[in-house]
Amino acid sequence: MIDFLQIIVNGVTVGSSYALMGLAMVIIYKTSGVPNFAQGEMALVTTYFTFMLLHTFGLSMTIAFISALVFSFFLGCLLEFTVMRRAKEPNILGMIVITIGLEMVLMGFVSWKFGAEQKVMPFPITPYDSIMIGDIFISTLELLTFGMTLILMVLLFIFFRFSKLGVAMKATQQNNAAARLMGIRTNQVMMLTWGISSVVGGIAGLLIAPVVMQPYMMWDPLLKGFAAAVMGGMTSLPGAVLGAYLLGITENLFGGYVSIEFKSVVAFAVIVIVLCVRPSGLFARHYVKKV
Amino acid sequence: MLKKYSLPDKVFELRYRSSPFDDVRFVRLTQGGSLYPCQKHYLKAYRNSVTNQRKDKNMKKGILWTAFIALAMVFTLALNVSAEEGVTDTEIHIGQWGPQTGPAAAWGSVARGTDAYFKMINAQGGIHGRKLIHHMFDDGYNPAKTKAGVKELQEGTGMFAWVSGVGTAPGLSVKDYLMERKIPWIGPSAGSLHWITPPQKYLFNVYPMYATEARILCRYAVKELGKKRFAIIYQNDDYGKNGVIGAKEELAKHGLKLVAEIPVDMKEGDLKPHVMQLKKSNADAVLLWTNVTHAVKTVGISAAMQFQPQFLSTSTCSDFPLMMHISKGLWKDVISATFAELPDSDNPLMKKYKAEAFDKYAGKDERWGLFYYAGIAFAEPFVEALKQCGKDLTREKLVKALEGLKDFQGISGKIGYKPFDPKDPSCRRGQNQSFLVQCLEGAKAKKLSGWITVTE
Repeated sequence: MIDFLQIIVNGVTVGSSYALMGLAMVIIYKTSGVPNFAQGEMALVTTYFTFMLLHTFGLSMTIAFISALVFSFFLGCLLEFTVMRRAKEPNILGMIVITIGLEMVLMGFVSWKFGAEQKVMPFPITPYDSIMIGDIFISTLELLTFGMTLILMVLLFIFFRFSKLGVAMKATQQNNAAARLMGIRTNQVMMLTWGISSVVGGIAGLLIAPVVMQPYMMWDPLLKGFAAAVMGGMTSLPGAVLGAYLLGITENLFGGYVSIEFKSVVAFAVIVIVLCVRPSGLFARHYVKKV
Repeated sequence: MLKKYSLPDKVFELRYRSSPFDDVRFVRLTQGGSLYPCQKHYLKAYRNSVTNQRKDKNMKKGILWTAFIALAMVFTLALNVSAEEGVTDTEIHIGQWGPQTGPAAAWGSVARGTDAYFKMINAQGGIHGRKLIHHMFDDGYNPAKTKAGVKELQEGTGMFAWVSGVGTAPGLSVKDYLMERKIPWIGPSAGSLHWITPPQKYLFNVYPMYATEARILCRYAVKELGKKRFAIIYQNDDYGKNGVIGAKEELAKHGLKLVAEIPVDMKEGDLKPHVMQLKKSNADAVLLWTNVTHAVKTVGISAAMQFQPQFLSTSTCSDFPLMMHISKGLWKDVISATFAELPDSDNPLMKKYKAEAFDKYAGKDERWGLFYYAGIAFAEPFVEALKQCGKDLTREKLVKALEGLKDFQGISGKIGYKPFDPKDPSCRRGQNQSFLVQCLEGAKAKKLSGWITVTE
C-alpha cells in the first residue's frame, strides 16, 4: 500500500514539471493554433541566462530570478516578432516546422555559448532534500514545483477567462480576421502570448535546472508536456495540468507494476490512445466548424 | 504518356511516348473502332523501331559503364600502390567521433583530449615528418549520426585510421563498416565485449572491458566490504548490459545473485520509479552502469528516499570532481573502477601531457579531468605503433606494429596485443587492468587498490 501511495505521489510530483511545459504550450496553441516545439529551448535559454547572471555576474538569487522572468518575456516577444511573424503565407504546418527549426537553433546556441557539460544551478533548495510524511517521501523541490504549477494554472485560467487581454487572445485564435475587425491588435496579442508562454516555460526550466542542467535538459519535459497538453485537449489549461498528472501517474504505475524497461514510451502510447478514443482531448470542448 | 481520344463509339488509347506518330493520324480511325490495315502496318513498324532504339541505347550505356568501372578500378589500384589512403608525405588523417551535444555530452572531452595530444605531437615535429591531422565530429551519441559522419569522412576525405570514438552503440553502428574496409580502429572509448568477441583484425581495444570492471568491483565489495545483496541500475543498451554480465558472473563465483536489475532508458528524465525498485530490493550494494546524469540522479534520489547502499560505479562515472560538482557532494564515498592515472598523479607522463598538451591547447573552459586525458590514453598505443612503423606507413604495417606491443604502458594500465587469432579474444583486448578509487570530501580520490589484472 505504501508503495502504491508513493508511486501516486511520485507521479503527481513528476507530473508538475510536465504540467508547466504543457501550460506553456497550451497558451500559444490557444492563440495561434500552433504547437510550439521551441518551448523547451526557450526555457533553456532563460535558464542559462539566469545561470550566467548568478555565476558570471554574481547577482543575488532574487534579482537573478526576477530578471530571468523579464528576460524570458522579452525573449518570447522577440522570437515572435523576428521569426514567426516574418513567415510568408503562414499555414499551421509551416509554423510548426519553423518552431522545430527555432528549437535546433536555440539548443545549438546554448551548447556553443555555454558548452555541453553539465552545470550546477545555484538554487535555494537542493533537489535531494525531502520531507517524509509517514513512510512517503516528497522532495522539497518537487513540492515547490507542484505549488507553482497550481498557482500558475489558476492565474492563467483567471487571466484567460476574465481579463480583457485574455479574451482578446481567445478571440484571435477563434477568428483572426473578425478579431481584427473588432479592433483587437492581433499582432500585438500574438506577441504577448509568446511572451507569457515563454515566462511559464522559463519557470519550468528554472525548477528543472537544479536537478539537471545541460543543453539537453528540456527535451524530456517538453515531449511529456506536449503529451499532457494533447491529452488535455491542447486548448484547456486545467486540462493540460490534469493530463500531466494523469500522465505522470500512469508512467509511474506502469514502471512500478508492469515494466520499467518500457516506461519511457508510455507517454506516447497514451497520446495515441487518447487521439483514437477522444481526438479532441479529454477535457476540451469539441468545436465543429461550420462551413 | 497516355493519351485518350474519344470517338463517338470507341475510346482508343495511344500508349507511346511522344513521337512523330503521336498525333491524330492514328486516331483518324475507323468506323468500326479498329485500325485500317495500313495503319496496323505503321504501328508495327513503329513498335519495332522503338524497341531497336532502346536496345541500342542500352548497349551503348553498358559499354560506357564497363569502361568507367574498369577505369575506376585501375585508378584505385594505382592509388593503392602509390600510397595508403589518408597518408601523404606530410600528413596522416585520423578520424574520431564524440558527443559534444546531447545526453552524453559529458564524455565529449575525450575527443578534445585526443585533439590536444595530436597537436602536442605535431608541435614536436609530428611522426616521421608527418603531421597528425585530426578530424573529429559531434555525433550527439546518436548511432545514426555516427554512421553518417564516419561514412562522410571516410569516403570524402579518406581517413588512414580511426581512434577512440565514444560510446558502445555509436561504435557498434560503424564497426562492420570499418572492418569490412580493413580500416584500423584503435581504442574505442567504451569497454564493450563486442569489440573483441569475436576479435577483429583491425580493431584494437584499449578500454578495460565493462564486464571486467564489474567483476573487480563485485569482488572487492564481497571480499573487503562483506556485501551480500547486489543490485544494478544499467543503461538499457549494450554498455549497461556488459556490466550486468560481468556482475552476474563474478557474483555466481561467490554463490550470490543480483537482487535487482533495473534498466534505464538513455533519455529517461524521471528515475524515481527505478530507485524505488532498488530500495524495494533491499540491496546493500548498487552498481551504477548508466550515464553521468543518471548516476547522479540515482544517488541523489536514493539520498532523498533515505536509501543508502554502497554505490559502485563504472569508470565512465569516475571523474570525481565532475561527479561531486553535479551531485552537490552526494558522490562522496562512491567507489569507482578507473582505467587511467588520477588527475593529480605524480606520473611523469601525466605531468608532461598536462603541461604540453592541456595547458597549451585546451579550450578556455576545459578541465583536466579523467575523460579529457582518457582521450590521450586511448590514442597512446596508436601513436606508439605509428612511431614504430617508420616512414613507409601502411595499414598492414600499423597492424603489425600494434600486434608487436607488449606491456606498453602510458597513462593507463599495461597494454599488449598478439598476432591475430580469430578464436582468441585476448589478441585484441589490449588492457585488462583497472584499479579502484573511492571519492572523498573535496572530490579527492583515495586509491583502494593498485592495478588489478583480471584474467577471465
